[in-house]
This record gives sequence, C-alpha cells and structure tokens, in this order.
Amino acid sequence: MNALHTVTTPEAEDVLAMAGEVWATFLGEEPLLPAGPAEQAPGWSAAVTVTGAWPGMVVIELSTAAAHAVATRMLGTPQADEADTTDAVGELVNIVGGNVKSLMPEPSVLSLPVVTTGRIAVPTGQVEVVRLDLEWLGEPVALRVHAHDDSTEGGIR
Amino acid sequence: MTLSPSSFAAIAALTRRETAMLYEPGKEYLVEARLLPLARAAGCEDVDAYVALVLRDRVHQQAAMDALTINETSWFRDNAPYQAFTEVMLPAMLQARAHTRQLTIWSAACSSGQEAYSLAMLLDQHLPAGWSARIVATDISTSMLERVRTGRYSMVEMNRGLPATLLVKHFTRVGSEWEISADLRSMVETRHLNLAGPFPALPTFDIVFLRNVLIYFDLDTKRDILRRVRSVTSPDGYLLLGSTETTLDMETHWIREPAGRVQLHRPIAGPTSASATAVARAPQTALTGA
Amino acid sequence: MHALIIDDSRTMRIILRRILGDLGFTTAEAGDGQQALDAIAAGPVPDLCLVDWNMPVMDGYTFVQRVRANAEHRNITLMMVTTESSHGHVVKALAAGAHEYVIKPFTPEAITEKLELLGLVRNGVPA
Repeated sequence: MNALHTVTTPEAEDVLAMAGEVWATFLGEEPLLPAGPAEQAPGWSAAVTVTGAWPGMVVIELSTAAAHAVATRMLGTPQADEADTTDAVGELVNIVGGNVKSLMPEPSVLSLPVVTTGRIAVPTGQVEVVRLDLEWLGEPVALRVHAHDDSTEGGIR
Repeated sequence: MTLSPSSFAAIAALTRRETAMLYEPGKEYLVEARLLPLARAAGCEDVDAYVALVLRDRVHQQAAMDALTINETSWFRDNAPYQAFTEVMLPAMLQARAHTRQLTIWSAACSSGQEAYSLAMLLDQHLPAGWSARIVATDISTSMLERVRTGRYSMVEMNRGLPATLLVKHFTRVGSEWEISADLRSMVETRHLNLAGPFPALPTFDIVFLRNVLIYFDLDTKRDILRRVRSVTSPDGYLLLGSTETTLDMETHWIREPAGRVQLHRPIAGPTSASATAVARAPQTALTGA
Repeated sequence: MHALIIDDSRTMRIILRRILGDLGFTTAEAGDGQQALDAIAAGPVPDLCLVDWNMPVMDGYTFVQRVRANAEHRNITLMMVTTESSHGHVVKALAAGAHEYVIKPFTPEAITEKLELLGLVRNGVPA
C-alpha cells in the first residue's frame, strides 16, 4: 500500500459536506444519509475528470429512480426523459466535482461531465481515495473520488 | 413522516420556557425540518421519538434548542441597515467619540455571525487610523457562538449577499469552508446571552443591532427586552431593529429617527435601570429629535 | 431588464431562467461563450449576463474578457455563476472584469441578493 503515499486525498467529511449542500440546495429537504453499499449496479453514472496539479476523477452513481428524481427536481417538472436526466445528472456531478477540485492543489482544470446509464469505467492509474455510500429518498447514491497514483505504471504524468 | 400534535405542543412549550421563542401552531413543518437531521443522528425512528428523547435528556435538549433558534441569515442582510451604519451612525459616533476613539457595538442574537462580521468588514473599511472597535456578538446558542469564534462558512452561506470583492479580501478557503481573517475575528468577541433572561454584565454600547429576533417574543417580553437594552445603550447611541419590528408601543423608552429606508432608535433620557452616570451624560441630541 | 443566461447545462439554464423570471427579467440563453457573443451582436444587448465558467467552444472567463474588451458593451453587468470555487478563480474573474461571483450550489435568494448588491433588483423587482 506504499502507492497511497503518493496520492493526495480530499477529506471524506469535506466531500460529504459539499454533496449535502448541493443536495439541500437543488434537490429538496430530504437529507442524503449514510448507508451500506448498493446491492445492485447503478442505473446511471456521471463523472468529471480533473487534470493539472491534482489529476483525479469524481463519480456519482445513482439508481434509475434516484437519477429520475434528480432530473424532475432540478428541472421542476413532473416528468423527465433520458435527455433531461443526462443533462441534470451531468450538472450535478459538475457542481460536486468542481467543489471537490477546489479542495485540492491548484491549478487544475475540470472536464465537461460524462453521463451514462450503468457503470462508468475508471481509467487505469487511478485509485479510489474516497467512497461514500449514501441513501436518498430510500434509493442508493454513491459518491466516489479517484486520484491519480504516480507510482502506477502507465500514469498520465 | 409527520410530527404528532402532542410532540409539537411539548417541543413548543419547552422552546418557549427555555428561550421564550414562540412556535405557533402551523409551524410544525419548520420544527420537523429542523429536528429531522438531529433525530436521524440520534438514531431515532422519527421526530416524535426524538422529541421524547429531548424531553428527558439535557444534552439532546441543548442541541434541539440550538436547532430551533437558528435564524436564516445573510451577509449585509437587507443592505439598508448597513448603509445607515456607514452613512449615519458611524459618522455621528466618530464625532461623539473623538476623545476616546473607541466604539463598542452589540450584535444581539448574532446566530452564525454574519451580522457581526459584516459590521467588522465595514469598520475595517471606514474606521480611521488610531481608532479601535469592539463588536460583542451574543446568542442563546452556544454552538452558534462557537461557529462565530471559528469564523468559518459554507459555500451556500458565502453566496448570501457577500460582495465578491469582500470575499476575496477577507476570506481564505479551509477545506470545504471559507474562513474569515484573523484581523476581523479579533474584532468580534462572543458572549452567551438569553435576551429573555437577566443580562450578564455588559459594556455600554454605542450601537446595537437587534434585528429579526423580537418577532419571536410576546409583547411583554419584547417590552422588557427593549427596556433592558436601553439600560446598556449609551444615551447618544443607536438601536437598530429588523425592518418589520417597531417600538411603536414603547414610546416611553425610545424615539425613532428615520435614516434612508430604515428607522433608527435612540434612547430617551429618563429614569431607567441604567447606571447613574449614563443618565447624567445624556446629551441634548437625544431630545431634540422628539 | 434583459438577461442572457450562459451555461452549457440546460438544467442550470432552466433553474436560472425561473429565478430571473420571478424577478421580472426577460431572458435569453446561450450554451457557450461564442453563442453568447453572437447573441449580443444580434441583439438585444442584455443588461445582465450570468456566466458559467467551464463550457465547450468558449469558456466563461474568455467570454468575460471579450465583452470587457469591447467598449460598446461597458454597460453589461457580468456575474459569474460557476462551480469553480477557489479563491484564485474569484480573483481572476474579478480582475478580468466580472462584477460579481456566485458559486454553485446557490439558493434563489443568493441570486436575488447579489442582483440587489449590483443595483439591478430592488424589493424583488428590476430596479
């Protein structure tokens, strides 16, 4: 586990505090609560990558119902189609990701969000440094932060 | 999840007894929203179960009172009072205190401290060299006072009415929060104080901000608080209330003086529980506006 | 009072459109900085631009620099609304000519209060 010594890590509490603020601000009164790991694969995943002084990646995984609720609540509409969900979940990971980036060494650049149904692939050379298994509206939500590991072969820098 | 009428009645009565703040029927949703996170953290099944715990456990009671007495707040809230501070109250006090070059200001019911630090930022900008200012921030909630001392604010709080130029000038990032500079923190001193109870020893204040808190008290308590605030306000000092609050039914203690879009209040000389020296020093200016 | 909302996320544009609409603004939208410059050139010239930072084609920071470089547009108020939340980013945006800065996430009150600071809104309606 020497590899971890070369990885800069955000504090899990800071990441959770920020995610809690994002949820409370845009998604209603129901809190984001700690929970066990989700039993099923995520229905939707969204990610932003960070390049620069702190290379890393922030990923949000949600059940289909949770992703749908994110879209209807952010858009303020009763229904949300796939395009709506893609845009809303993408903006959600953009906001959380941008805030996580601000915790880490600067200067870094945030990518545009990538959103997909199912699970998102994490590039090699990245290690998971924060994992928050959460529950919202009784649905699983996971927040993961990956950081580039300098000691891994094939790393970016 | 719903709060039962009996739980609401019990928590409203407790809040009234401990803090004199009123939670009228119809505010159930507010009580529930504020207590739900605490209920979850305490491992309670619902807010009713948490209220039962609060009623028998002193530690949980303090946490619940803290949560129920929070005011939503922003920097430079309502703008106009701060404009009156810079344009009217501060210039008057700079003249009146030219011999001591010292100002003492009270931010009463300071909550998380945005009012006290907004005033500190204005003083940083407008106080002439050689002057010093002391802002006493008081609140009934000890956890709020701890927050004021720490001087750290979340992203959502930072967005609320704080000009970006002042964010850049006075704050630095610490983890997920922003921290106000040590200079401004040293200007603000915190004191635990229940407005509804007897005041501890306090200095005499030149300017008192007592905003958006009287609304929580019944008329007799309001009247009593204003009487006691007067006893710690300098005879030539100022009191500022929230925009919807008034001393209309307390004519005997304060006179109103318009300043732009706000009403300032000034003590009327006369017998109160104020110290004899304070009464003796009462200047003519307190009367001329009447 | 006319506002141009510049953000690559349709969701965010809808959130901001709703807030500005409640305050009595007319609004137009652009998905990146270049689209926004085109919209300003075609008119109407907005009184206010809400500007995201990270967008495809042209980012919000470049957009602010471009608007500020054009003397004809000196009356446009520029407010960044972005997830970029480091001290350095705020300094950089202000130096480039942005007037205010809101960090995502924000509440509707935060937008209203900032527009009051800028003198564009008073008592809940355009000033």
